[in-house]
Amino acid sequence: MALTGTDTRLSVEARGISKSFGGVAALDAVDFELRWSEVHALVGENGAGKTTLCNILAGIYRADAGQVIVDGSERDFRSPAHAIDAGVGMVHQHFRLVEPMTVAENIHLGWPETPGVVSQRALNERAERFMAETGLHVDPTAKIWQLSVGEQQRVEILRVLARGARVLILDEPTAVLTAKEAEELFAVVRELAAGGLSVIFITHKLREVLAVSDRLTVLRHGIREITRPTEGATANEIARLMTGEERVLDVEHRVVTGDPALELRGVSALNDRGIAALHDVDLTVRSGEILGIAGVSGNGQTELAEVICALRDHQAGSITVDGADIASASVRAVTDMGVGHIPEDRIGMGMVASAPVKDNTVLHNYWTPQFSQGLTLNRQSVIDFAKQIVVEARVQTRSVFATAGQLSGGNQQRLVARREALVADRLLVAAHPTRGLDVNAAQEVRSTIIDRRDRGCAVLLISDDLDEVLLMSDRIAVMYEGRIMGVFDAADADREHIGLLMGGHSLSEAVA
Amino acid sequence: MTPLGSIASAVLSVTPWRLERRLEVDAKRAALTRIGGAVGAMVVVGILLLLTGRNAFWIFWEALDAIFGRQRGIEGVALRAIPILMTALGVALSLRMKVWNIGSDGQFLMGALAAVGVGIHLDGPGWLVLILMAVAATLAGAAWMLVPALARAYWDVNEIITTLLLNFVALQLVTWSALGFWRDKEAAVIQSTREVPFTLPGLPGADSVTVALLVPLAIAAVLWWVFRSTTIGYEIDTIGGNPRAAAFAGIAVRRRIMVVMLFTGAIAGLGGMLQLSAPGAQAMNAGFSAQFGLSGFIVAALAGASFWGVIGGGIFIASMFYAGIVLQTKGLSVYIIFAIYGAILTGIALGEIAARYRMVRRGAEDREAENRDADDRGADARDADDTAVAVEATAGDEATQGARP
Repeated sequence: MALTGTDTRLSVEARGISKSFGGVAALDAVDFELRWSEVHALVGENGAGKTTLCNILAGIYRADAGQVIVDGSERDFRSPAHAIDAGVGMVHQHFRLVEPMTVAENIHLGWPETPGVVSQRALNERAERFMAETGLHVDPTAKIWQLSVGEQQRVEILRVLARGARVLILDEPTAVLTAKEAEELFAVVRELAAGGLSVIFITHKLREVLAVSDRLTVLRHGIREITRPTEGATANEIARLMTGEERVLDVEHRVVTGDPALELRGVSALNDRGIAALHDVDLTVRSGEILGIAGVSGNGQTELAEVICALRDHQAGSITVDGADIASASVRAVTDMGVGHIPEDRIGMGMVASAPVKDNTVLHNYWTPQFSQGLTLNRQSVIDFAKQIVVEARVQTRSVFATAGQLSGGNQQRLVARREALVADRLLVAAHPTRGLDVNAAQEVRSTIIDRRDRGCAVLLISDDLDEVLLMSDRIAVMYEGRIMGVFDAADADREHIGLLMGGHSLSEAVA
Repeated sequence: MTPLGSIASAVLSVTPWRLERRLEVDAKRAALTRIGGAVGAMVVVGILLLLTGRNAFWIFWEALDAIFGRQRGIEGVALRAIPILMTALGVALSLRMKVWNIGSDGQFLMGALAAVGVGIHLDGPGWLVLILMAVAATLAGAAWMLVPALARAYWDVNEIITTLLLNFVALQLVTWSALGFWRDKEAAVIQSTREVPFTLPGLPGADSVTVALLVPLAIAAVLWWVFRSTTIGYEIDTIGGNPRAAAFAGIAVRRRIMVVMLFTGAIAGLGGMLQLSAPGAQAMNAGFSAQFGLSGFIVAALAGASFWGVIGGGIFIASMFYAGIVLQTKGLSVYIIFAIYGAILTGIALGEIAARYRMVRRGAEDREAENRDADDRGADARDADDTAVAVEATAGDEATQGARP
């Protein structure tokens, strides 16, 4: 952690900012100071007010009360365009790029300084000149859809810098990045700060705070808990300030010798583009154990989960649940065997955002006799069941009739996790179950999964968060390019060793 | 925020009030704001009529009197409502699955054509022929939907285009039958098919309305029940909400799309037969449909795919059309009548949007926060709020940036 922030003059100062939505206070008289040439981490759980504060600084919202002072003069931004004119620009978590256009076109789009009539070549040259100035490089002629997520993010940063931003706000920038891309981003951010810019780095990952920031501010429930230099801060201390309580999940690892609940033998499958995604996969998950799949996203984990849950055909090999082959079984038949599935894309696949909470709680078992007699769906039993799930899983919602899309990410996942845990008598496939969740929600979802295991259910846990895999799993399998690179008992798991396998080194290389 | 919402915010920005988006729109309020929109539009129209020297009070009085003042008026509305309700119910059913059936005109015409074919060729007891006509019309309406349904379910071909274009094919077939193979050669004053010699029995006490009026009411009741209390309704709503989630839940999405689309065609087709079996309408010509499908589509869209809303909206739009015809006979220009139609429908559409917002007095939030149970929506709800508003705010931002030279 290099301390570049020797300049203590303030680039942005917020005084007593308050903002509420629909009567709920998101920010309550928050002060915030940002210095020139510093990377300032803004930390807090989901709903702590991080994004709201930055949206006010970037002119997206107007504060209900308080002042924003940019470079010494008070500002009242009425739109993001005002903010960028004053040198404050924000890169959002979800990119706003035009996919069929080139990098150079996206950088110049809607930029007042773009010449009215201009050739493709001139645009590319301008973009290149600009990249040389900032030290951020992306092929200016590439179309956005051809770029990796990390490169797209770089284009977003370039867009903001091109408009003269001296204060750069990054909203959860690593949420969409691979570990390697995140490292590259850290380097870029440090370099920009070294060049005199101010960077606000919103995150809830503690390791990133320690790795990238000069100072940090913790928000909790719309109130500033602390602002301090990062040097000397510990992850535990920040976590305590974020959550307001110390909660560590203590998981006891087991060695189980029972019958296999799930067995894969020589399974191969294709991905959506028809390219081989699984090669000759052998896996066994026993009743009462958690088998964790470690690996970088995109190495066949998605396809593995879908093949097991009959959402995807396999080309070769056999998959058995409790000894019964599910090669030609329907989704419903597999579910009826007691297989639950927490899908990795909970909004895209795991729920119907426009439907009421109650309907979402029975998505994976509405046809069972508990809810359905012949053609009819028993409304009252659905409502009762939904109320039970909402209470048990502590889903915060106004009512079970509210649409699921209104729930926060954490509450959506509490709902999906509990629903699938109740379906899963024999096997629970959990794909990235805590991705994007704050500490409390993640703990609860993990407890739900461990509770299932303790009741004798087999669990296949897929996660690209190695910490999570190591924390939860009784055994760990490493996946790389659709192959299982090795399987270990939790007791023998060595982080470095697993890291090498995840990177594609073979077992012998890793041990050597 | 929608463009209209932005305009409204801009107007309100000089007042102590501001617009806030509702998290949830409840059905009762949405119905009330729609009615409010229609009434508001009539007031505006009335003022314009007064300003141009027409007696607005007389016009509205005549319209109300024409509809409610005599039995003929009520029956006239009912006769117009039946075909509109049938097409609207079909469209509303498909909208539950987010399928846009723009082709109910075509399905309606094909249903009527099939009914004519059976009716003028079969001999037998009237009740039997009428039942066979209904069966033929239902099958023909479904058949007219077969190609769009297959294309949508199995090859993801957009149904808006296919269903729309088939309307023109159906219209040509009807014209051909009226001019050609089923032409009435004896009483050929206008080009028309021969007349079906049977009509449905009248409703007790009615002069011209037949039992056909009961059919859309029965269909609405069945559909309401299906979506309230059956797994099929649940599956259709799930597919409409998120097809990937439906596949995740093991629902046979393609097969369900097929079935629902065929049903929407069948309902519109049956509507064609009901229209044809009313006394005095027993033959077909090119003007047979009078764009009932279009009216039905408007009703379904404005009713937000609620089946009882379709019934209310269909009767309202039928009354409006009936009043328009009466006013024409009393000398009001057809252009003014169309302008009134347009204003009223726009008012209803605006009312539908208005239901999604509420007005809040600036600075009143603090007081409100105390009144409200803070635990109501936990801290997490804020982030959900934030994202929704942030996305809109930035969309607006892009627009302003783009507008610069």
